[in-house]
Amino acid sequence: MTGWHTLADQASGPLTAAQWKLVSAPLQGKIWLEGVAGGGKTSVGAARVLHLLGRGVPAESILIFVPQRSLAQPYITALRGWTAHRGGQVSVQTIGSLSLQMVETFWFLVAGDAGFKHPQDLPNFLSLELAQYFMTRAIEPLVDQRDYFNSVRVDRPRLYSQIVDNMNKAAIVGFPISEIGARLKSALASGVEQAHIFDDAQTCAVAFRKYCLAHNLLDFSLQLEVFRDYVWAAGLARAYLRGRFKHLIVDGAEEDNPASHFFVNELLQSCESALIIYDRDAGFRRFLGADPDSARSLRDNCDLEATLDETFVMEEAVAALGAGLGAQLGLPVKAERDADPAPALITEAHRYHPAMVDWVARQVDILVHERDVSPNDIVIVAPFMSDALRFGLADGLAQRGIPLRSHRPSRALRDEPAARTLLTLARLAHPHWNMPPTNFDIVFALMAAIKDLDLVRAKLLTEMLYQDCRLLPFAKVRSTAMQERVTFDLGERYDRLAAWIDRYIDGDRVDAIDIFFRRLYDALLARAGFGFHDDVDAGNTAQNLVDSARGFRWSLDFMSRYDEQIDLSQDYVKMVDRGVIANFYLRDWIADAEEGLLIAPAYTFLLNNRAVDYQFWLNIGSDGWSRRLFQPLTHPYVLSRGWPPGALWTEEDERNLSRETLGRLLLALTRRCRKAIYLGYSELSESGFEQRGLLLEAIQSLLRRYARDGQNV
Amino acid sequence: MFKPRPKQAEVLAYRRGYMGVAAVPGSGKTATLSYLAAQLLAETELAEGQEILIVTLVNSAATNFARQVSEYVKGDGLLPGYGYRVRTLHGLANDIVRGMPSAAGLDEQFTVVDERESNAILGDAVEAWARRYPEAPDAYLAPEYVEKGRYRTQKWAEILTETARNFIKQAKDNLLTPLDVGSMIEAYPGDLLLAEICADIYRDYDRALDYRGAVDFQDLIRLALKLLRDEPAYLASLRRKWVAILEDEAQDSSRLQEDILRALAGEGGNWVRVGDPNQAIYETFTTADPKYLREFIASDEVDGRELPNSGRSTRSIQKLANHLIDWSLAHPHQTIRERAPLSKPHILPTPRGDPQPNPADDPDAVVLFAEAYSATKEALMVTESCRRWLAANPEGTAAILVARNSRGSEIVKFLRQSGVPYVENLNSTSSTRAVVGALSRVLGYLADPKSAGKLAEVYRVWRRDERDEPLAVAEIKAVADTLRRIGKVEDLVAPRLDDWLEDMLAEEDDAQQYGDLRDFRQRVGAWLRAAEMPIDQLILTIAGDIFRDVGEIATAHMVALYLARLAQTHPLMRPPEFAAELFDIAGNRRRFTGLGDDEGQFDPDAHKGKVTVTTLHKAKGLEWDRVYLTSVNNYDFPSAEANDSFIGEKWFIRDDLNLSAEALAQLAALQTGSAYQEGAASLHARIDYAAERLRLLYVGITRARKALTITWNTGRGAATEATPLIALRAFWENEREKARAREPQP
Repeated sequence: MTGWHTLADQASGPLTAAQWKLVSAPLQGKIWLEGVAGGGKTSVGAARVLHLLGRGVPAESILIFVPQRSLAQPYITALRGWTAHRGGQVSVQTIGSLSLQMVETFWFLVAGDAGFKHPQDLPNFLSLELAQYFMTRAIEPLVDQRDYFNSVRVDRPRLYSQIVDNMNKAAIVGFPISEIGARLKSALASGVEQAHIFDDAQTCAVAFRKYCLAHNLLDFSLQLEVFRDYVWAAGLARAYLRGRFKHLIVDGAEEDNPASHFFVNELLQSCESALIIYDRDAGFRRFLGADPDSARSLRDNCDLEATLDETFVMEEAVAALGAGLGAQLGLPVKAERDADPAPALITEAHRYHPAMVDWVARQVDILVHERDVSPNDIVIVAPFMSDALRFGLADGLAQRGIPLRSHRPSRALRDEPAARTLLTLARLAHPHWNMPPTNFDIVFALMAAIKDLDLVRAKLLTEMLYQDCRLLPFAKVRSTAMQERVTFDLGERYDRLAAWIDRYIDGDRVDAIDIFFRRLYDALLARAGFGFHDDVDAGNTAQNLVDSARGFRWSLDFMSRYDEQIDLSQDYVKMVDRGVIANFYLRDWIADAEEGLLIAPAYTFLLNNRAVDYQFWLNIGSDGWSRRLFQPLTHPYVLSRGWPPGALWTEEDERNLSRETLGRLLLALTRRCRKAIYLGYSELSESGFEQRGLLLEAIQSLLRRYARDGQNV
Repeated sequence: MFKPRPKQAEVLAYRRGYMGVAAVPGSGKTATLSYLAAQLLAETELAEGQEILIVTLVNSAATNFARQVSEYVKGDGLLPGYGYRVRTLHGLANDIVRGMPSAAGLDEQFTVVDERESNAILGDAVEAWARRYPEAPDAYLAPEYVEKGRYRTQKWAEILTETARNFIKQAKDNLLTPLDVGSMIEAYPGDLLLAEICADIYRDYDRALDYRGAVDFQDLIRLALKLLRDEPAYLASLRRKWVAILEDEAQDSSRLQEDILRALAGEGGNWVRVGDPNQAIYETFTTADPKYLREFIASDEVDGRELPNSGRSTRSIQKLANHLIDWSLAHPHQTIRERAPLSKPHILPTPRGDPQPNPADDPDAVVLFAEAYSATKEALMVTESCRRWLAANPEGTAAILVARNSRGSEIVKFLRQSGVPYVENLNSTSSTRAVVGALSRVLGYLADPKSAGKLAEVYRVWRRDERDEPLAVAEIKAVADTLRRIGKVEDLVAPRLDDWLEDMLAEEDDAQQYGDLRDFRQRVGAWLRAAEMPIDQLILTIAGDIFRDVGEIATAHMVALYLARLAQTHPLMRPPEFAAELFDIAGNRRRFTGLGDDEGQFDPDAHKGKVTVTTLHKAKGLEWDRVYLTSVNNYDFPSAEANDSFIGEKWFIRDDLNLSAEALAQLAALQTGSAYQEGAASLHARIDYAAERLRLLYVGITRARKALTITWNTGRGAATEATPLIALRAFWENEREKARAREPQP
């Protein structure tokens, strides 16, 4: 065993002989590694990077390429132990980050050819929220004037996000955006009424693209197209990237899109070594454009194919359950009829949703406190994690003293109390916006801003001192007795806040909104005696809000040279209210060292890629377990690479897709479970609907089959 | 175990095809249908995902049905609900649309606005329209009201809202979009003013829904049918899924419901419809009509059956109900007679040896008052009668049936004043309102946290589980009184320099009360901190602390979702507004509606020794030992006679026009291209209304098991006895006379 072997082992646990063989493969050669979850593929990848480094490969010549940044976490963790730097850093990229860097680098060489109206000016890259914002500006007048989309019922922010989504799909698959409408129409339009909405969607996409070209804006789709069709095609980036990256590690290839695969394939032509990791049963991000079939084509350019199929995780009963459910749903897995899945399945039926939530909390309590299971070894998953479900669980577990962490990939920033406080104070500080906060918004803002201020005193202060949209000084309280009720200590802090805002209003400078947030935070809210002091969550939220507002300002500042002036700050707050901005503030979730039981949507848990002893599957009656997200203006499968032009998307396609999706999901979940699965079932969903999803049907059929076969399930 | 009587066994012999069953009140139709479902489940080899679909009228009935079927099919270690699905029409439409939302032009996250929200949107649209056309009332107000400001604005807006609501509903039932209606108006040769007004409002209303990405209940049904028509592959998959359809309360099926179920069953499919055409009471301004069920049962492709035996009522009560059928068939008003509001079969007693024999007959227990009471006098008389009867029959059940919620609330006041134990089944049940009331008090306090009076109310809520313990009641009152007198609430709930609780301990040394208030303070403190959470989370937090009963928790959950929906559409709502909303529901001023409204089926037998006050509509399907049927006058039960007044005809509208009826007639003219004659529809509406009210009277009579009292009042002074009541009383006096003649003379 070499020293590097030891280091690799330390990074990812002890490796089997099969794994080590792949890690220590020659430095020239391209390996295609496929297998099932729990087989140790990523461990091989992480150890391989260290192995390369240990063999003297310069770090900067290594590219780790993943579909989303969180999937690179095992690599980043492994590299933390690597201190012997030589030649810079290992590069971790996604297609988004890489294309952005390349377009930025080669901008002035390609902007004119790519059709931008101002090739001499800098480009402005748009985040998803900014793309939606500019879409609002570019096409809303069109939608209103021409009565577009009049046969669909979708709120505006979602409508625009679907048009953005169509454009992104076109870019990652590689067809022109002018084909979006025709593709959707030929597959989906069942009547005249539906057909014209796809025409509308097409018109809007083209209009938005024109707007972007006229204003040097690059949404993700345009960024990718410019990268592929101009930067890469012109050979500029190609020469640069081929020259730099000689060793390629691609993990989660099945979760990535055809544009990524095209790029990887191009690099494969020139690199010295490559390891491409592919999970045979995954492909969970299809709705985001993941294309496992396109990934599979990379295999043709590899020299060596390897498989890691032996799972290190499941007990026999869990394996039998996974296989049984998979077979039930028509997946080509062998149902292990010899093994009894009974010990792996624990369930109890409830009529009401809260009763189910309570049952879950009790079962977790028994596991943790009576059977000494670590909360880290338990996960609670559901197809969607609503506020109420999350809150019910958090409350039930907190009462039992069980630490937990929950993760929701998207959470509206405006729902965070810290963000709301900043927004309320911003309205207060900008009376010329004519957007005065309500009395209760002031009450809540004071409560959050002033440490130890309770609701009663916040209400007293607001009633006495919030007049004509201004906070009067504490001295204006009529009687000393009333001042004493609030206490002078709190009164003094209130005064500092009120005075700060007053000074701002009376001052001669109006800050940009992000700078206002920043100043308010630094000068006051983060100080001792105020609400954000020592509050990491509030600090993070404030930072996110600042980032979002700054991105907005930069983009609009940038636009000001082409477009009319508007009050950026006021428009920002309005857009937050409308749900266009800061609605789904997507943050890459990096699996961290947090301790506690994890509550998360099922797919989030899967992309976290770790195994636990016990899983709780909640709301097993929900359709969300098997169904794709239905959106009237877009369709991830019809707009995918493999969809035959002109073919009609049928009910049978939909059904087969649901079954396959669910089958894969269940297999993936059971492969990440060691001991048992608890099924949370209530006849009525959270919203009071009776639930009859495919998962429930599959479980009922399995139970019935085993009951009939004499298995005592 | 269910033991079918012969006529029920005929229905249970069903195996495939179309069957229609005409049932009488109390004939056990729901039990028979549940048992049939269980039997089919036991005998059918269902493939994965296949189910028997059971469709019923209201949520509470669906819940009840599901429970009954699951009782019959227990076993096999399966989770409940295997192999069957019970849905209301809205629930079914929701399932269908959610199965393929994008084909219906909807986003995955589409919301369904409930009645309240839909009314609010419509109200806004009407208001905007009325502002644009201030001269519009001139065309319809009666001359003496044209110049009166209140009638030009408020009253006009009210009637316009009502008219537009009916118009939009009908247009949607007829699958017409605002665009369709607009084109038809353009193509129509004459002027149809009401249709034009309503079409404008319809367009604005629909836009408002569009903007929210929402649909209303009518849309849900319309879109479901549209999907079934436009998506043959989807329809085929649903037909595969639902191997048989059992439909309860089919007499109230709208045309759309029938179309949807017919499409789902398919030709040669399996569809059983059970209903009582005589109990069709949801027809006004809808496309429902009991004639559809009658025609279905009579058609050749259908195996028609009857369930004529009922063990519910005494023979005397059955005779009275049967006579109402006979009288209606010979109704003095020719047009009503031709509409045949009630039809045979007569109600027959159960056969000898039946597990549910009729109660022993007591003709004296059927009393039809002739006296013209004032509304107050009637209420007093009924209250007094209830008081005496309940005292003598503590194990009995009784109900006062009213035609309108407002009348129910009036009677409740009298019962309360007289100390007669009662339970309400009006806009919402008492238990729902108790839960909402408790939550509204806590929320009310959070909206005004410095109020000692509101804090005292919260204390009562906090100890609500002990409210039936006499010892605790006095103590709770004493503590609440003390709290009410606290000068500075914050010194108790969020002490900083002074601590009211510590001071109290020093003075009184009551360790138990101290501990109790310390716990209370801790809880209230948590709620104060939680006040900023999203409203649904806040409600769930509070509910978790104050409710123990599963039903109460479930109701609280519904409240949370209801307020969350409100918050979504009204982003400026804060605790005071949410508290006001709950306060209105708790005070019965607002209905608690929505798909999620899962109020359990009201069970009269759970309220022995109390009188239930209920509307006739809500009494459907229920029965009591003693029933008071009140307000049977020509206002609530008109007969299309000259001196009758009709709720739909407003005094401030010219020429006795019923604007809703006229608007619908104009819509019909647009669709058929036929001529429109003003006033004809208003007259026709009187007939329809009189027919429906006759059925409502029939429903009322057949709620009674052993004793029935019918009274009427003069309303605001001008109402007279309802014509059918006069006929029933004459019949009954004659019957009594004949009986007396038959009695052996002493």
